Amino acid sequence: MSEQPFTLAIPDADLEYLRKKLDVVRLPDELDGAGWQYGAPLAHIQRLLAHWKDGFDWRKAEAEINKLAMFTRDVDVEGFGTLNIHYLHQKSEVKNAIPLLFVHGWPGHFLEVRKLLPILTAKSPDHPSFHVVAVSLPGFAFSEGPKKPGFEGRQYAEVLNKVMLALGYNEYVYQGGDWGHLLGAHVAHQYGHKHVKAWHSNMPCYRAPKLLSNPFLTLEPYYSAAARQRISKSAKYRVTGSGYFLEQATKPQTIGYSLADSPVGLLAWIYEKLVAWTDEYPWTDDEVLEWISVYWFSRDGPAASVRIYHALTGGSTHDSFAGAARSTIPLGVSYFPKEIIQLPKSWTQLLGNVVFESEHDKGGHFAATEQPEALAGDLRKMYGKGGPAHGVVPGRNGYD
Amino acid sequence: MATTTERPFTLSVPPAELELLQKKLELVRLPDELENAGWDYGAPLSDIRRLVARWRDGFDWHKSETEINKLPMFTRDIDVDGFGTLNIHYVHQKSAVKNAIPLLFVHGWPGHFLEVKNVLPHLTAISGDRPSFHVVAISLPGFGFSEAPKKSGFAGRQYANVFNKLMLSLGYEEYVYQGGDWGHMLGAHVVYHYGHKHLKAWHSNMPFYRRPTLFSNPLLTLEEHLPTQAARVAVEKLTHWRQKGIGYYTEHATKPQTIGYGLSDSPAGLLSWIYEKLVSWSDQYPWTDDEVLEWISIYWFSRAGPAASIRIYYEMTGGNTHDTFEGTARTTVPLGISYFPGELLLPPKSWMQMVGKVVFESEHDKGGHFAAYEQPEKLADDLRRMFGRGGPAFGVVHGHEGYD
Repeated sequence: MSEQPFTLAIPDADLEYLRKKLDVVRLPDELDGAGWQYGAPLAHIQRLLAHWKDGFDWRKAEAEINKLAMFTRDVDVEGFGTLNIHYLHQKSEVKNAIPLLFVHGWPGHFLEVRKLLPILTAKSPDHPSFHVVAVSLPGFAFSEGPKKPGFEGRQYAEVLNKVMLALGYNEYVYQGGDWGHLLGAHVAHQYGHKHVKAWHSNMPCYRAPKLLSNPFLTLEPYYSAAARQRISKSAKYRVTGSGYFLEQATKPQTIGYSLADSPVGLLAWIYEKLVAWTDEYPWTDDEVLEWISVYWFSRDGPAASVRIYHALTGGSTHDSFAGAARSTIPLGVSYFPKEIIQLPKSWTQLLGNVVFESEHDKGGHFAATEQPEALAGDLRKMYGKGGPAHGVVPGRNGYD
Repeated sequence: MATTTERPFTLSVPPAELELLQKKLELVRLPDELENAGWDYGAPLSDIRRLVARWRDGFDWHKSETEINKLPMFTRDIDVDGFGTLNIHYVHQKSAVKNAIPLLFVHGWPGHFLEVKNVLPHLTAISGDRPSFHVVAISLPGFGFSEAPKKSGFAGRQYANVFNKLMLSLGYEEYVYQGGDWGHMLGAHVVYHYGHKHLKAWHSNMPFYRRPTLFSNPLLTLEEHLPTQAARVAVEKLTHWRQKGIGYYTEHATKPQTIGYGLSDSPAGLLSWIYEKLVSWSDQYPWTDDEVLEWISIYWFSRAGPAASIRIYYEMTGGNTHDTFEGTARTTVPLGISYFPGELLLPPKSWMQMVGKVVFESEHDKGGHFAAYEQPEKLADDLRRMFGRGGPAFGVVHGHEGYD
């Protein structure tokens, strides 16, 4: 099936079912003074639950989401048949705007592009403009997920590239964080130069350098306090914040039962990250509940979304970069202070051909949501006139 | 003498809780599953679907409850320094042999006091040449029908305090100890605090300890590299554990509250979280659906709720910042170890010397992590050989040698 406009319309029965579930929620207790130490605090979850039952208006949120230009189309994936993929496609009025593919991660979704849209598509002689495509990854939000094992980096990249080609963007640029970043390495490896001309990441991590091949980079933490500081943040995440990753990479089905069956289980699992991974972003309850609802009402259900961890890590037997060699297409990176994984900046060159770097003093993992102006500003600088990736897409330099 | 707070305990889950569970079972929403997933991604959908249906339509909790109530169960208040009073639940089965050896049986996660069920008759039996035991099987604070601590910091010392006080309150000034999983880790704490004085010998069916270092135990570090079957198995299990086995552990040790919401609210979530371990950690034990559902129900209907049981991982590891043996040191209290082939980790046998003074070792060709449940005769037999006449720990408890 070729492109169809997509209107989000969760059936009344689904809303009714959720209501019934919320009415029989059984909450745990909590240790005195627990705060955030043991996970999502009870008082927060209670408040959010009460609002979900009695205040949050899904139909209102749905109507707002439907103002976005959304579509679905069938994408053929070698060995996996056809997947019906959901995406947002917002063109700029600038005809030669740069086609940009925005890729979310977990527990993110396509709506993370929302605040970037008006900025990226705006027309001005002072900055470039973009046609923005935000794909729902297979198994997330309203995209179908694969039905059998083996859907890995190559397949995700294939879907992403095919969507852009189908939209007439034979050449484009890419932006992502979280899985958007990790898949970016795969897309760049598979389609770099030929289709994807440059990429940008707001979570620029990669494997650590090896002493024999990169002695100076490997030794940098020994003499650089700045490098050590960045690594210590990653260590903190690894020691205290990576339980979800390990479970999802090894037993996605097991955790999937809780996420599929319990609205409060799903809420807590995701909300904990929305807060822990952001830089004091002032989440409103409605924002959080809309975010969780996209997972709750997702086409394949919340359990499908966590399979990507298992798929990209071989069930936790290798890292997510396996199979993606470094590409030489231009790479831009943005460093946000509260990002969960931080490595010495000098290591970024192992990831790709760094032509643009930007560091900010505010913002975390969900950069597009927390710091849309900063992130969009970085993209404008990278691709604008005089910028290091200006004109990478022939005939579409962002200006008319 | 102070009045005892011991009360006989009768399990009687209120109808309102049964109704709530039933409502929830009727509203279960299951995920899909990848084709031919098998056990590769966790608990298989067909198993969970079948178990949920049975739980909803066939499983008879009242029947289980009646059976459980045949065990001599009690509760009593135990004062824990800094944590106030906790009401602790336990099984206390005396042997007809007056001088039977007092034995404290300690479960782990996702275990519970009922794991003692199959081994109880063997241990308390009278048999001329084999010793008998008075058995106390405690529900750990926060598990089964024991109260949970209300504030943070309840760790090794506190668990040891509870165990020792319980045994003393039952009139057992000296006793022996048996445990696996947390029962093993906590054993190291109890023996450190009360070894020799009260705890005279201990036995574990989970031979686990921190890795030796070149600095502390150079010879032991070499053992994994030997070209032996035992070394190969040790490395294989450790690798598998590190790669595939620590998802639940890491979440428990870092964000027990977060995972706790799903476990409290979703019967299917709790079922799968535990069932996955019941199967993968046992040695092809032929679980019946009702066995599984009874097991999960103990967690579902637990006094403090399922989320409370997870906190032990956080408290015992400082939120995943140290291992579970922190605060203990090797003691010379006699230690016995049983090796079961399906156990999660099987380090080289010499490692147990780092834990304590190994006086008894036994190796089996069948059985896994839930040894007392899966192989009650083998485990009981090991204890009888360890503590019986001619055994290496015979007579450790004065006046309670196990024979009349």
